[in-house]
Amino acid sequence: MEHMGVEPDRIQFSWISSAESTKFVNVVNEVTKTIKALGPNKNFVKRPVEETVSKVA
Amino acid sequence: MLEYINKIKEISTKLLEEKKVDMIVGFRKGSLPMMNEPCFAKNTEDIQSFVWDSNCGINLANYLTNRKEKIGIVAKGCDSRNIVTHIIENKINRDQLTIIGVPCKGMIDRKMISDMFDSEITEVTENNGKITVKGNGFDKTLEKTEVLQENCAICIHRNPVIYDELVAKEVEEQKDVDRYEDVRNIEAMSPEDKWKTFDDLLKTCIRCYACRNACPLCYCPTCFVDEAKPQWVGKSQDPTDTRTFHFLRAFHCAGRCTDCGACVRACPMGINVRAFTKKLEKDCFELFNWEAGLSIEERPPLDTFKPGDPDEFIK
Amino acid sequence: MKVIKIDKTKWAEGLNKLRSDYQLIGPVKKDKYHDFQMLGKDQLPDVELLNTRMSPKSVVFPQSEVMLEYSLDETKEDHHIIKEVEKDASPRAVFGIRPCDAKALMLVKLNFDTSDYKDPYWIKAFEASTFIGMACDDPASTCFCTSTGCGPYNEEGLDVLMIDVGDHYLAKGITEKGEKLLKTAGWEDTSDDASLIESKKGEAEAKITSKVATENLKDKAILDLYEAPFWEDTAFSCLNCGTCTYVCPTCWCFDIQDETHGKKGIRMRNWDSCMFPLFTLHTTGHNPRETQIHRVRQRFMHKLKYFTDKYEKGIMCVGCGRCVRLCPVNIDIRTVCDKMNNYAASS
Repeated sequence: MEHMGVEPDRIQFSWISSAESTKFVNVVNEVTKTIKALGPNKNFVKRPVEETVSKVA
Repeated sequence: MLEYINKIKEISTKLLEEKKVDMIVGFRKGSLPMMNEPCFAKNTEDIQSFVWDSNCGINLANYLTNRKEKIGIVAKGCDSRNIVTHIIENKINRDQLTIIGVPCKGMIDRKMISDMFDSEITEVTENNGKITVKGNGFDKTLEKTEVLQENCAICIHRNPVIYDELVAKEVEEQKDVDRYEDVRNIEAMSPEDKWKTFDDLLKTCIRCYACRNACPLCYCPTCFVDEAKPQWVGKSQDPTDTRTFHFLRAFHCAGRCTDCGACVRACPMGINVRAFTKKLEKDCFELFNWEAGLSIEERPPLDTFKPGDPDEFIK
Repeated sequence: MKVIKIDKTKWAEGLNKLRSDYQLIGPVKKDKYHDFQMLGKDQLPDVELLNTRMSPKSVVFPQSEVMLEYSLDETKEDHHIIKEVEKDASPRAVFGIRPCDAKALMLVKLNFDTSDYKDPYWIKAFEASTFIGMACDDPASTCFCTSTGCGPYNEEGLDVLMIDVGDHYLAKGITEKGEKLLKTAGWEDTSDDASLIESKKGEAEAKITSKVATENLKDKAILDLYEAPFWEDTAFSCLNCGTCTYVCPTCWCFDIQDETHGKKGIRMRNWDSCMFPLFTLHTTGHNPRETQIHRVRQRFMHKLKYFTDKYEKGIMCVGCGRCVRLCPVNIDIRTVCDKMNNYAASS
């Protein structure tokens, strides 16, 4: 995903056991913070068809 | 090349006569310069049309999927690696096959050569590593090494990795090849530039799926883009849908792609389809020291788990 | 018909005059290859190019075309009502179209404009267009238009036929639409070189050396051809990609899809291909053209036999050679046509 141009921080992987509630909270907060800092995702979002499919050739 | 052709014919005739196989899959001369057509031979008469030259870039492993016959197949290095992958993935049995291995010095890039001339090419011949191109008002001899398909130029497995017969002595493998310069160039880009690079690459895609269908790995009974219940991907020329197709296909080939170049060769719009698959090929090599299709004994990294598998990406 | 002489030095000037009345479309280089595109301001069409990679059928029949739209927003009065999309039907002038591709439009018209059914999208676009053809003096080895009821100077489907005569073009107005365009461009110098056109036409036709025979197709029994043993050999190499059908100027099949984004939705049509298994897949899961050999046979039988029988307008192929050049595995319609035409059932 990173290679095709999605910002590296948008995708994160964590391994959290069901017993690790504190880690879960921290990870979620951390991820939310990073994503908010990046702003809305623009790439890889399908736009309404009227904008992309030409009406003439 | 004539020795190769004669040897292919000789082995094929023997195999059919001794009834070791029901059919042989090979190439016959095409109707255009730099084009050969995959074909089969079921009798010695059909064998006479077999050819071998630098225009046999289509990967013949593609023609083995789920076949029931006993088959003799002409295989260059990359074909043989895809045959291995086919065997590992149960798309064909080793016992069904007699592999006629062809040591290969690379296939020529017909698009590159066509683009070198302003008018149409009417005849292309090769002799001793030289390619002679003729057309209306020109007659030029090129070094074969300079007009190879990109994947052939960086190939390090020119000899078949698995075979029952070999049509000629093995050729020398290329050493010290930098296989991933193009991938590194993209890796070094900013996310925006990466996005733009692939956008530009796909601008002309018509979604004919020639790349997918030419690929021996793409044998799913129903491809995810064709699935209608539910439908995963839109079918229009929408750039996001087109990109989804190319990237998901590439992911699906991770750890399986042999960089045979059939996808690029098949594309009618001249898109460098390998730009998608190669990053994954590089990752598999760097992370798992894996090159697809070298051995029928070893399972690919994506269907095995080892305690030492890299996991730095998990935080 | 009047023949007009257009000095090449007045070419751009004429085109510019047309820009206020017409949207100009013509072959321009897109990435590696030429394609028919809407011309930008000051952009000139490469009319002397042999031909584009994709055919100009997209000018009237885009690969993806929105037909209807709807809203699911219940606060709107017209929610859940499917409405026709506003289409741009202003005049367009299509330059540099080759006679084979123009004839292809006439074959496609048989499908989209019939007495029973009139396709509003196709017809609107077709009627808005003026086609300015370019005669071919330097055909490719894969061109076989003279065998398909067409030719390098064929006028069917064209409004104007242009001929390149070195420092100037000759333009032959074929329809009123065409005459009007020539006048709007200010190209009005008449030429008395009409005989030159005839001799150039003869020369050009002689240059087309690739021929296919089609004369027996009509008399062959459909089932004989359908069951002919050569299909196994012909179809073997086929990848079942959509290249041949997508690059073909006469292939007209499409698929209708709905797409919804949030509360807005559209119904669109996209080119489809008889090479794809999905093309004939029934909702039951049954597929009447289940194997590759079925699909390959269908394509050739449709183009060369069913169409020939149904319309009596010859084969559904204009000999542009695109599928021959672009097929990844070199399946050549000329070879298949010869096999069909010469086939003698053994019984």
